[in-house]
Formats: sequence, structure tokens, C-alpha cells
Amino acid sequence: MDYAIEIHDLTVAFDRKPVLWNIDAHLPAGKLIGILGPNGAGKSTLIKTIMGLIPAGSGYVKIFGQPLKEVRKRVSYVPQRETIDWDFPVSVMDVALMGRYAHTGMFGKLRRADRDIALDALRKVGMEAFANRQIGRLSGGQQQRTFLARALAQRADLYLMDEPFAGVDAATEKAVITLLREMTTQGKTVLVVHHNLQSARQYFDHLLLLNTRLVACGPAPEVFTPDNLRDTYGGNLTLLTDVANLMHQEQHPVRENKLQQE
Amino acid sequence: MSASYFFLLSDPNVQYVALGAMLLTGSSALMGTFALLSKKSLVGDAIAHAVLPGVCLGFILAGTKEPLWILAGAFLTGALSVYLIDFIVHNSHIKEDTAIGLVLSVMFGAGIVLLTAIQKTGNAAQSGLDQYLFGRAAAINRQDLLVFGTTSVLIMALVIVFFRSFTLLAFDRHFAHALGFNVKFIQFIQTTLIVLAVVIGIQAVGVVLMAAILITPAAAARYWCNSVKTMLWLSSAFGMISGLCGALISYAAPAMPTGPWIVVVASVIAFVSLLVAPEKGMLSRSLRQRRLQQTIAQENLLKTLYKLGEKNEDFLHERTAQEIMRNLKSARPQKLLRQLLKQGYVERNNNHWKLTEAGYLRAQRIVKIHRLWELYLTTYMNIAPDHVHDDAETIEHLLTPELEKELERQLGYPSTDPHQSQIPYRKT
Ligand SMILES: Nc1ncnc2c1ncn2[C@@H]1O[C@H](COP(=O)(O)OP(=O)(O)O)[C@@H](O)[C@H]1O
Ligand SMILES: [Mg+2]
Repeated sequence: MDYAIEIHDLTVAFDRKPVLWNIDAHLPAGKLIGILGPNGAGKSTLIKTIMGLIPAGSGYVKIFGQPLKEVRKRVSYVPQRETIDWDFPVSVMDVALMGRYAHTGMFGKLRRADRDIALDALRKVGMEAFANRQIGRLSGGQQQRTFLARALAQRADLYLMDEPFAGVDAATEKAVITLLREMTTQGKTVLVVHHNLQSARQYFDHLLLLNTRLVACGPAPEVFTPDNLRDTYGGNLTLLTDVANLMHQEQHPVRENKLQQE
Repeated sequence: MSASYFFLLSDPNVQYVALGAMLLTGSSALMGTFALLSKKSLVGDAIAHAVLPGVCLGFILAGTKEPLWILAGAFLTGALSVYLIDFIVHNSHIKEDTAIGLVLSVMFGAGIVLLTAIQKTGNAAQSGLDQYLFGRAAAINRQDLLVFGTTSVLIMALVIVFFRSFTLLAFDRHFAHALGFNVKFIQFIQTTLIVLAVVIGIQAVGVVLMAAILITPAAAARYWCNSVKTMLWLSSAFGMISGLCGALISYAAPAMPTGPWIVVVASVIAFVSLLVAPEKGMLSRSLRQRRLQQTIAQENLLKTLYKLGEKNEDFLHERTAQEIMRNLKSARPQKLLRQLLKQGYVERNNNHWKLTEAGYLRAQRIVKIHRLWELYLTTYMNIAPDHVHDDAETIEHLLTPELEKELERQLGYPSTDPHQSQIPYRKT
């Protein structure tokens, strides 16, 4: 089996307080994969760590069998919508074009072909007519589709999307999930942070259930069991939280062998 | 006044001053745009104040007011303040705004102490050092102009080269990082350029008001446009206008420090922008608001005629203004009727009014949306039927044709609303 992402024994901490403990998971390529978990479970943190935006406390991640920096261009990231400044003076087209920066780099010129690709991505998500609109003057669904277009314009092989369905109308959600499905049939891997349990079952091939630690990871029908869901959503892991708080108070290192370095 | 200013401009000294001030304010407005977009306006203020101890140190080391020493000193402490803020935020639990305030006041305090100490020495060379507090553009000479010119060209060139990087960093830092952009390097270049802009600006503007020169033109420009490129052009144009006017005023009246005048002109530009800019300006907003209210009043009148028509099943029936008034809560129904007449939605026959075909269709649409919305609220949101009317009163004027279609589709083209009134559809 080909793996798009291998996560090896990953622990991530903020200010010494671990928010992900010992995550070990292999995610297959060419699948639509859902990450499920309650608020604060560390879903965003996991995605950001995979993207190299947050340093891992210990453990490592491989993408297509290689370290991230070898395959950066092939990975695309859609941030959670709360992190975007919707007042920023950029148009829908400007945002879509940013996807092409993966290929032009910091200084390379945007060619006509890049514009065509960006426009094509906008067409795919039905945002072509709004190309010149400032992003603040769009509905929630349109905003999310704009960022999806940016990811599509990157022409990546792996897509990491943080809550792409938050604040999105039902029609958009349906259209987007169809599009993502289509992408997986073309061999792309799509990883989606999702918050709705009801639709998760039908949407995804593969699921990763997360609540600070990995609860389960595997094909959706196997993983989507009442027991697993209870472990993910029910019963707070009071012990784990207490220990994490203690580590924060004592400024305890995440791993013993990190002690010398710090 | 224009004649005397024109006369002033033919004096080469004044030309230096005017050109120098424009270069300073124009290039600092460029960096101010990125500072504003990255929400780093306050950092600009900290840098400006932190430059003062550097000015004094440069003077102490050189022994005279040698511009290069002073600029170098200013640059060092200005840059130091940025790294201090960063260091405090990353290594303590102090929040960024507190860290900025802390660094600003400590550095500025140190600068004032040094300045006072230098003045106490009675060194003749020190006279005029306090001009760095409020700036004096009139002192700009040929040599300064060369320094300003070079720095401005450098800033402009780097803004062009790094345009994409600066913009992306301000908009979506994580995405820039994810793309493999060297975020730390870009940040370093941007910070360096902001410090540089502040440092060359202080001679004309002074440390106290430099942050205003950095940010105000950008803030004004933001009102007029929705693209970073246009914003850069506008902001530097606003900056240059303020620089030019400020320098001329302070040259014409030598007792006036330049900095405050530049800030006054920049603030006037910002204030005018806030008032009259299309779309975002206050006037345009209140105008839009008024137009909306007028539309609502007109539509309510059309609706009244439609509902009266519903009673006797003759929608195009002629009615007197008195009858309409009895059924409509409006302060000036006559005026509304005249407006609607001009727009072609009603017809007049002496003292009798009736809907035209277009008026009938428009009224029908409003009534339809009103009743659909009431139904939507009762079925989807479980709101009691007697609580939905007021909400529908506003929504009926607001819904776009797309949302109207979506509403019809979701409800499945129902025939009556929660109060058993017919929902009228347009016959095709
Ligand atoms: N930058 C940060 N600094 C400190 N704590 C953070 C930071 N980002 C997230 N956290 C904490 O990490 C935990 C996981 O957050 P997150 O990954 O955003 O959760 P999710 O996306 O699953 O809702 C939360 O408890 C949150 O408070
Ligand atoms: Mg999240």
C-alpha cells in the first residue's frame, strides 16, 4: 500500500503543554480522509504539524515517503477560516493566483498559463463570476470555495483542509464533496478536518479519530463504531489533561532526551 | 497664497527641502502600507521612539552632528526595539501590545535621558539635536538629499522585488510558510525597510510623530481601493503630498516644526477619505442607508396597493390617496406616490392611483417573499406563527433573486403561509 502521510510517534506541545500525544498513523494515498474530534482535540495542530508550520516536540512525519521539504510543491493547505483577515484588500482572483506561487516561488513571474490555471480552478468551484470581488464581500460558502480554488490552482497531490465546511451552506458542501471525490478518483489524496459526525460516515473513505491522542485510524466502516466515537467525544480525559497542565506548570520537557538541548 | 508658494519653489534651497520631504514621506508610506496590512502599526510607533537613544549615541560617538553616524545609531536602536519586542513576546507571558508599550517607553525614556545629558555638557555642536524630537525639514541640505534619495530608491526597488512576499506574509503567513517561502528572511527584509524608512524620516518629522507619517497615508489609502498595488500607489502619493505641504509651510514660517505640519496635512487627507471615499466612506454609507430606507418605504406602499387589491381581487383597481393612506403607516405617502409614478410603478388619474403592470409584479414578489419567509421561520426554526411577521417585514426588501429561488426550492413552492394567506407566484 502507498502511503500519502506517515506519522511516526508524533508529540506536539505549546509552551511545554502537550496537545498531541504519541500520534502514530499511516494514511493511504488516493483516498478522501476525514479527521474527526471535538473542539480543542488538536486537529488543526496535527495538520499544521504535518505542513511543518508547528515544530514537532518529538517524532516525525513523512509525506509520500519523503521529508516535507522535498515534496512541498505537491502539498496544498487550506487554513481554517477564522485565521483569514477578510478585510484584506485582495480579490478572489488574487487568492486563486497565490496557489501558483508554489511553482513560481517568491520571485518568479506569473505567466499567462498561470492565470489560466487559476481561472480554471475558479470555474471548477463556481467562483469565476466573482473573480474581481474583494473577499470580504462574499458569503461564507463563496469564501470557502475561493480558498479551495487556491488549493486547486496549486495542482498538488495532497490536500490538507482545515474545516472547509464551517460556515458553508448545504449546496456548497455537497458541490465541494463531489469535487473532492472526483479528485481522489484522479489519484489525489484529500485530508479534511470535519466536525459533523452524521455526514462523516458517508463522506470519507478513511477516518482518523483524534482527541489529544489517536483514538482510531482506518477505513471508515471499521473505525466508525459507537465505542470509538465515545472514546473520541465522550468522557473527558481528565488524567491526561491534568498531566498536561502539570507539565506546563513545571515547564517539564516533552521528552527526557530533550533536556540537554534546552 | 499660491503665488507666494510658487515663488518659494523657485528657490533651490526650498527645492531641496520639498524634494527631501517628499522622498521621505513617500517611501515611508510604502512601508507603512505593509505595516498596516500586517497589523504592525504599533510596532512602527515603537521603532520611531526607540530611534532617539540611537541618535544621541551616534552624536556622542562622532562628537558632531555627522548625519551618517546619527543615522547608523538610529538604525541600530530602531532595529533593536523590534527584536526586543519579539524576544519578550516569545520568552515571557507578556502580550504583544504590552511588550510594545514597554519597549517604546523604556527606549524613549533612555533617549530623553541621553539628550538631556548631552545638552548639559554645553557642547556647542549639540545645538539643534533636539530637533530630532519634532523634526525640521528646513535643515535638509544637498548632502542629506543624496542620502534620502538613495534610501528611497532602495526601498522602492525592494518593495517591487518583494511585493509578492510582503503581501502574502501580511495576508496568510501560514500559507507562505507552507509554500516554502523563506518567511524569516522576508520578515527580516520587511522589518529592516520599515526601520530604514523611520530612520530617514526622523530628520524631517521627528521621532514623536514618525509613526503617524508611516501609518496615516496608508490608512487613508485603504478607504479608496481594494487592491494592495493601488493602495501602495495612493499611500505614497498621499505621503508625498503631506511631505510637500508640510515642508513648504514650515519653510514659509520658520518657527514651525515640520513634523506636526506633515501630520496635520496627512490627517486632513485621512479625514477627508473617511468622509467621502466611495463605498467605505461615511457619506457614501449613509447615502446608501437613506436610499435603502426610501426603497423600503416605496415597496411598502406597493405592497399596500397589492393587499387592497387582494381583498376585491382586482389588483389594478384605482384608489384615492386617502384610501391608501388609511392602510399605510407612512409620514409622506404623497411623496412616495410621486416617486413611484416617476419610476413607472403606479399611474395617476386625477386623484386616483393604481398599480401599473410592473408595479403589480414587483408588489407580488415582495408579498411572496414575505409569506415564504414566515413559512420558513415557522417550519425550519420552530418560531411561533405570531412572531414571524416583523422579521419578514425586513427580509422581504432584502432577499436577492438567488436566495429567493433557494427559498422556494427548499420549501417546495407551498401555496399558503402560516396565516393561511395565498402565496402568489408569478405566472410564466
Ligand atoms: N498557538 C497556540 N498556543 C498555545 N496553545 C494552543 C495554540 N494553538 C492551539 N493551542 C491549544 O491546543 C489545543 C488544540 O488546538 P487545535 O489544534 O486548534 O484544536 P482543534 O483544531 O481540534 O479544535 C487547544 O487546547 C488549544 O488551546
Ligand atoms: Mg481547529
